[in-house]
Parts: sequence; C-alpha cells; structure tokens
Amino acid sequence: MKVLAICLSNIRRMLRDRSNIFFVFVFPIAIILLIGVQFGGGVDPAVGITAEDDGDIATSITQALQTTEGIETRIFPGEEELEDAVEHGNVQVGLFLPAGMDEHASSGQIVDIGSVVRPDGFGRQLQSVVSSVIAAVMKPVGAAQFASNETGSSFETSLQVSGELSETIVATEVEVRTVGEALFPDTLGQFDLGAAQQLVLFTFLTALAGSSALILTRQLGISSRMLSTPTSVRTVITGESAGRFGVAITQGIYIIAMTWVIFSVSWGDPLGAFLTLVAFSAVGAGAGMLIGATLNNDQQASGVGVILSLGLAALGGSMLPSELFSPTMQNVAHITPHAWALDAFAELVRQDATTIDILPELGVLILYAAVLLGLAGWRLRVAITRP
Amino acid sequence: MSAPTRIAGKDLKLRVRDRSAIIIGIVAPLSLAFIFNLVFGNAFDPDEGIGLDYGIVDLDDSEITAAFVGVLEGAQDEGLLTITPFNEAASAEAAIDEGEIDAFYLLEQGFEAEVLANGSPTILVVGDIDAPTSTQIAGSIADQFSTGIEATSLAIGTSAVIEGVSLSPEFVAGLSSDPSSAAFSYRLIDAPAQTRQLDATTYYAAGMAIFFLFFTVQFGVLGLLEEEREGTLPRLMAAPIGRFAVVSGKAILAFVLGLISMGVMVVATQILMGAQWGAPLGVVTLVLAGVCAAVGIMGLVASVSRTPEGAGNLGAIIAVVLGMLGGVFFPLGNGDDLLSNLTYLTPQAWFMRGVADLADGAAWTAALPAAGAILLFAIVTGSLALVFVRRRLST
Repeated sequence: MKVLAICLSNIRRMLRDRSNIFFVFVFPIAIILLIGVQFGGGVDPAVGITAEDDGDIATSITQALQTTEGIETRIFPGEEELEDAVEHGNVQVGLFLPAGMDEHASSGQIVDIGSVVRPDGFGRQLQSVVSSVIAAVMKPVGAAQFASNETGSSFETSLQVSGELSETIVATEVEVRTVGEALFPDTLGQFDLGAAQQLVLFTFLTALAGSSALILTRQLGISSRMLSTPTSVRTVITGESAGRFGVAITQGIYIIAMTWVIFSVSWGDPLGAFLTLVAFSAVGAGAGMLIGATLNNDQQASGVGVILSLGLAALGGSMLPSELFSPTMQNVAHITPHAWALDAFAELVRQDATTIDILPELGVLILYAAVLLGLAGWRLRVAITRP
Repeated sequence: MSAPTRIAGKDLKLRVRDRSAIIIGIVAPLSLAFIFNLVFGNAFDPDEGIGLDYGIVDLDDSEITAAFVGVLEGAQDEGLLTITPFNEAASAEAAIDEGEIDAFYLLEQGFEAEVLANGSPTILVVGDIDAPTSTQIAGSIADQFSTGIEATSLAIGTSAVIEGVSLSPEFVAGLSSDPSSAAFSYRLIDAPAQTRQLDATTYYAAGMAIFFLFFTVQFGVLGLLEEEREGTLPRLMAAPIGRFAVVSGKAILAFVLGLISMGVMVVATQILMGAQWGAPLGVVTLVLAGVCAAVGIMGLVASVSRTPEGAGNLGAIIAVVLGMLGGVFFPLGNGDDLLSNLTYLTPQAWFMRGVADLADGAAWTAALPAAGAILLFAIVTGSLALVFVRRRLST
C-alpha cells in the first residue's frame, strides 16, 4: 500500500505542474500530427515552370507535366523567382520555357528549353522524368519538321498530320512492375509509423525527466523523512520506481488511446502492444531512477535527460525508421531499448504478430529494465541512507 | 568595474561551477548534432542516398535493343547510373532481392520484329518495391527511348501521308535524310544551380546550436527571479547602484552565456564534424542577432512569470515549440505552403535560412536579410520585456 501511495504522490506531483501537462499530453499528439502531415502523405518532388509566352508548345508542356503522376508542378512568375526556389530546394527542377518556341519550331530550328537542376537529392532523377514528358510533347513537332523538310509541305500542314497520326500510332509500351515485399506496406496509415516512434520517444523522455523530481525528493529531505517512518528502504525505492513507471505508462496509454481515436492509428494486438509499453516504461523508469540516484543537481539531470532521450531516440529509430539505416547503424541502433520496442510495435502492426511472436523483443526489454532498475535501486539505497 | 558587469561576472562564476549551463549550452547541442548527423547524415546526403543501379536482360539481341543498351551505357559513362547485363530474368530478379540492383529492363525476344511490324513492342521495367524512385526513373529512361522510336516512325508516317503513298521499305529507303532526327527537335539546356541549402552536418550543427541557445540564455535571465525569491533583490536594489544595474547584469550574463555556447558550437562543429558555416562575418552577424532574440524572448517570458520554476517551464515550452516550428529537427513544409510560411514566425527558422544563405561560399552580406528579421524579434520582445520589468521593479 505504501508503495502505491508513494507512486501516486509522484504522479500527482507531475500532473500539478502545468508545463508537464503540455509536454506529456499536448506536445506528443501535436508532433504526431505534424510529422504525419509532413511525411505521412508522401511528398512528391516538385518541378517549377516559368513560361515567357503562352504558345502551343509551352502550354502543352505545362499541361503534360501537370497531369504526370508522382510529381508536383508549380508555376512561377519569372526566372528569378524560379531560380531562387531551386536554390532553396523548394523545387528540385526548374524549367524555363522561352518566348517564341512555336516560331522556332515552325522555322525548322531546334527549340531550346532551359532547365535548372539541383545537383543533389532528386534533381537529376526528376529531370529524367521531365525530359521524357517533354520528349512526348515534342514528338509530333519533330515529325512535322522532318516531314515538311522531306516533302516541301508547310510546317503547319505537317504538324496537323503528325498530330493526328500520333494519336493512332501504336506506342512502344513501357510496363513497370515491382517485385519484393514492401518495407512499409500501402496499408500503413499516414500516422501509423510516426505514432509508435513518438510513443517510444516521449515515454522515455518523460521517464528521464522524472530524475529531477527524484533529486528534489532527496534534496528536500522527503526521502529521509519517509525513512524516519516505519517504512523500509526497499519500500521507498520500490515506490519511487513505481512512480516513474506510473508516469511513463500513463502517458503511453494516453498516446495509444488518443492516436487510435483521433488518427485511427492501428496498434495491432492490444495485449502485445500493452506488454511492450509496460516493458519499455519499466526501462525508462530504470534509466530515470539511475540518473536521479547518481546526479545531485536537478538542472544537470534534466540536461543529461534531454541528451540521452533525444540521442537514444535518434539512434534507436524514433526519428528516422531504422529500416532506412545502413547495416552497421542498424546494429548500433539495437544497443538502444528504443529499437527493440519499435521492432515489437512494427511486428504487431505490419505483420499481425501476436504476443508470442514478440517474446524475443519483450525479453530484451525486460532484461534492460531489470539491469537498470537493479543498478538504480542500489545507487538510490546508497544515496538516501548515506549519513 | 561597473555594477552590471560585476553582477554578471559573479553569476557567470556561479554558472560555471554549477556545470548545468555547460551541459545545456555545449554538451547537449554538440552531442546531439553529432548523433543526428551520424543517424540522418546518410539519408540526407544526396551522393549516398540514391544511386541508380540497373540491370538489363536483352533476349532479342537485335539492332534496336542494342541501341537501347547503348543509350544506357552512355548514361553509365556519364556517371548517371550503373548498368549490369544479365542472361535471364530470374538472375536479375535475384539481384534485386540481394539489393545489388534497383530495377532491370527486360527486352523480350522479337522486340525488333514488333517495332518494324508496327506492332506493340514492350519494354518491361521490373523494379524493387522499396526503390520506387529508382524504378520510376528506370521507367522514364525507357519512355524516352520508346518516344525516340515513336518519333522516328511518326516522322516516316507523316511524310508518307503527305506524299500520299503507302508505307513500304522502299519509301523509307528513299528518304533523303535520317528520320530519327525527328527525336531531336528540342534541346534541354542545363544552367548550373547554386545550392543555398545546408548539408546534413551543417544543418544539425546550426539547428542544435540555435535550439539549445534558448535554454542556455535562461540561465541568465532567470537570475533576476531567483534573486527575487531568495530575497537578495531588495538588498541589491538598496545598494547605491542604478535601478537597472541588476537587470543589465542579468541580461549581460544571458548574452555572454549565449555567445559562448554559439561560439563553441560553431568552432567545434566546424573542426570536429566538418560543418560548413560559410563567411565568418555573416555567421558572427547571425549569431549576434540570434543571441539578442533569445535573450529578448526568454527575458519576456521571465518578466511575466512569478517564479523561476514557472519561467523555466514556460520558457521550455516556448523554446521547444519555436524550435520545432523553426525546423531545427527536420525541415517543415515544402517551400510555399501554409506550414512553411508559419515557420517564419520563429527566429529559429530565420537563423537556419540565414546559415543556408551563406552556403556555397556566398558573401557575408547574404546573411543580412535573415539577421535583420531575427533582430526584429529581439527588438520587439526585448522592449516588451523591459516595459514589464520596469513595472515589476517599481512595485
């Protein structure tokens, strides 16, 4: 009972602080929303176009690009604005359609189209998509130029013929197929990936932030007063651990429930998800306790907590899915408990795994928790019984 | 030594002994910039991000398919992609599974015959489902080649229609020029683009530096509230020094802490991680403006808070929200949408933009617009803070 009382007083203390309400309950959901909006929808690479006149060729190229799937087309008022957008990476490829393209084409000249391509990212790749679109638009023009040269008829007549013919000509078909099993299947919702990542990041962050509270508890003499009552050291330590754990799991359940209700995030097998959360919260509680028992300055502890929780989250795949890491970095990632928890959540959601399937991940997390809580208990016993 | 500097000097000694300012101002941003760069550096780095590795299975072995292979080999010589020949589709598919190639082209037997008979020849592109971009590009290269074939036959067809004759090998042989020239009615002329965008290392160095700056200056501005709580403020006010000496002392401390943190970050990330901060004078301008804005905003927070804890908590919320919105962890928005415009309501976003404007060896003046915007934040919030503090001290 005493354990529960200590635990509950810790949770109450956390909830009284209004800034905690923000960081524990409001901020995570806001971040999941932001990340879902930013990355979940799949950002199409963008092509910027600026046309100096609205001749037939310029209009056709613009329309053809606008109807091409997988790229976004933006119209810019002038060359300068377009160049600026390319330089800042807002569009990857810029296309200048100069004035008089139609006149050049009809007089049999080669039409020059300017392009600015970012040397990095999707630039070169996107350019190849853009040039294949332009090639298709320019096909009847080239044929008309050839035919009027060959037959002596006017360009306009030839263009009309080649335009009609190009509708009927049997195209060489390019068929694209994909093989393999998708890393992130299409059924994965817009917010699914981010939700598990942020759940892990924030429960750990909150648990580590608890270390400052533990330091204050010691410094203000609360622990020694508890010990002066007929309460064993073991009970105090268990109660404090339960407090950190309670805070983390409260936040975890809240995030799972909210994302499920608001964003319809699927969490897979409920028991499996709950057990993963329990094991991971215990790891977080252990880490928070260890810091709180080792350091003697609450501001230092919150600094160390921020470094550890953001650093481990980044390494463990809470910010960028570890599937996208290099093989070496994937191994490094699995030093962190985050990676194991995320593996478990991923299996539950993407492979419809049950609790049995994620036993290895749960085992690793429990091992982490046992070691950290053991160490923390020992350090805390030393810290609060030291005369 | 004047009173404000003496107060700032005393507090500085206190903060250094306490070590928490060092953790927040230097250790945290430096270690996180290092970790983020390690984790995201590769995903960010264009040279390592997408390599185009393709295979080709040419079962037709004809003149036209050889031309296609020639096009791909030409692109390989230009360093745009790599191309590996395979004898059969199965081995190429196995290579996809092994991650050796992203996609392969399959040209079935009889491809050329289909083209000549005006049939429906197919270039099959088989791609790795997890390499959609590479697969799409493979498809568009094939598209361009097939458009070339189509342009050629369209040129021949158009001439035949105008002449009023039917298509025959004799007609094609009698053409006075090469019909494949029809595929070259235009040229794409590449203009080199500068990149005024940051590489991953500099991005995270700048992001973490400006993010933690707001926490670092708190160690200065919260001092006033601490003096108030400890009861040392009335005693200081009773001393024969100007009324604003204490406030100036705290502001100077905040400014110095911020400068030290930013200075160490810039130099350390440049030397240890190879971050490229650009023209020194421009960086100094941005850093000075950034520190002023941080002192102004955090000073405003402190001036309206009752206790140092309250100010610390509110300050943390504001610093985290502004940092997140300012894109210190990942860029927000896609350039011109609502979200991207919202980011410019934060000095953090202007700081990142300023550092980006200095990229690629731009002159220091390139940072001036961003620095001006940041200073605007500093002036507005700083003057508000002064008004509130004046009111507070007079009661």
